[in-house]
Amino acid sequence: MSLKLRPFWFYLIPLPLALAALFFGPSEQMGPDRVLSSMRLLFGGAASADETALARSILWEVRLPRILLAFLVGASLTVSGTALQALFRNPLVAPEILGLSSGAAFGAALALSLGFLPLQATAFAFGLLAVGLSYLLARGRKGVSILALILSGIIISGIFTAALTVVQFLTDPFKLQTIVHWTMGNLHNANWDKIRSAVIPMALGGIGLFLIRWRMNVIALGDEETRAVGLNPEREKVWILLPAALAASAAVAVAGIIGMVGLAFPHMVRMLVGPDNRKTVPVSLAFGGSFLLVVDTCSRTLASFEIPIGIFTTLIGGPFFIYLLKKSRFTMGEE
Amino acid sequence: MTTAVQVEGLFFGYDQRPLLKGVNLEVPSGSLTVLLGKNGSGKSTLLRLMGGLLPFEKGRVSLLGKDVRRISPSERAGLVGFLPQFHHPVFPFTVEEVVLTGRAAQVFFLPGKKDREKVRQALEALGLMDFRDRPYNELSGGERQLVMVARVLAQDPRIILLDEPLSHLDLANQVRLLRLLKDLTARGLTVLVVLHDPNTAVLYGDQMLFLKEGRILSPEKGRGPWEASFLSEVYDTPLITLPFKDRCLVLPG
Repeated sequence: MSLKLRPFWFYLIPLPLALAALFFGPSEQMGPDRVLSSMRLLFGGAASADETALARSILWEVRLPRILLAFLVGASLTVSGTALQALFRNPLVAPEILGLSSGAAFGAALALSLGFLPLQATAFAFGLLAVGLSYLLARGRKGVSILALILSGIIISGIFTAALTVVQFLTDPFKLQTIVHWTMGNLHNANWDKIRSAVIPMALGGIGLFLIRWRMNVIALGDEETRAVGLNPEREKVWILLPAALAASAAVAVAGIIGMVGLAFPHMVRMLVGPDNRKTVPVSLAFGGSFLLVVDTCSRTLASFEIPIGIFTTLIGGPFFIYLLKKSRFTMGEE
Repeated sequence: MTTAVQVEGLFFGYDQRPLLKGVNLEVPSGSLTVLLGKNGSGKSTLLRLMGGLLPFEKGRVSLLGKDVRRISPSERAGLVGFLPQFHHPVFPFTVEEVVLTGRAAQVFFLPGKKDREKVRQALEALGLMDFRDRPYNELSGGERQLVMVARVLAQDPRIILLDEPLSHLDLANQVRLLRLLKDLTARGLTVLVVLHDPNTAVLYGDQMLFLKEGRILSPEKGRGPWEASFLSEVYDTPLITLPFKDRCLVLPG
């Protein structure tokens, strides 16, 4: 089922949505009128001095970075999931299912714990290592079956999750708190530093995937079908895998593992615009980012306390994955 | 007449088990050549080797005079198009999107106007214009087969290799496809096709090649390949023939 909506409409969503999200938050001192007056300030309006300092701080140091980070993380995980599903010709894979997220999380924890490794680069290296291992483990004589890849992903994921626990165990209590907070999959300590550290790898990954988006269609048809039309499938796969791993591991490095986004969102995108990756890649960026922003806004306003977004997305995504598994005709690795 | 495909002393095997033991053959340019043989005789493998899709150690394959191992994949795609055996994709791409992937060697980032035009021509040639927006993986086996043929046409190569293109096709579509292949040879393309039915080969082929036990088997000098004794030897099955026009049709004996 796909609705084949025109991608154009999805590009109109993010900006108004981000502006609207600025109005939501737990602070009672920050009603809509305050937000408006603080925004007006930007365009040269006047406000009283004490009011301005607080409003500016909440708006520009808390809400805005969080909105941007939620958008960037959602866009990165979704576009990465879209690319991985095309690359492995498997609608049931995603960064977290292939072990990419756990690998990146382990790398990021290692960097946070040791203190001298660069966070983003270490997350990327281990994310790539993990997804590579899953792939090699699943590869049989007759290619990679859908189910074998999921199983090997679970194993690799488990190994890196265990390794992450070991890192936590060996880390001194002061640093440990940071790591534990971050592994829960959270956006609540978003700040401009996090955005600065993640935006470059995310942009590189997103642009990379945007440029090769049509070739994903070719790869998605099969190795032999790709070779027959004059492309080297192994080389094309590397050019898809690298940016996909870059975007997803950057998201994990700043926000921890936010479950099921990379799996469920690409499906929604394909249901909305069809499977052509010329459309799914840009729509994944716009829609994935917007959707996670909505979920995050709910998670910080629905209850009197904040529900970690990773828990939120997994609760929505888990049943969705089961539904997909039941629906798909290739459940038992028949291919 | 020039040679489109030349194979000299080609050896190949899977896991030390030899399959092709010194194959020599020539496919004249502009011909419709049919490759026949028993199941497991290596027809599909030979076709893939000729298409440069499989690496080999010993022997030589030339496409229009160029060594298949010395040309880049994209140059190869301009020379030779290959129709793989049956295939089932996971994603519901439309027919048009699938055929468009045939243009991959010519496209850097996104396919353009010229590519879409080639796709339109290919779809028209196969009578698939009405299928353009249908999801490919919801088509019948035969329709999918035609779409993959359209993909090879969109690629626009000089030589076309087809591995059992008639399987899954009903009689009407078989005839339509064979006529199309004939038309293509009339326009100067070379078509090499693996078939199961020798009668189709007799009816449509300009040249017939027979693969047996890793080598090309030829009929005795001055005799046609449609003689009962020769075909019985190729298929290891008693066969009889009926005269038809200047050739013969084959029946189980």
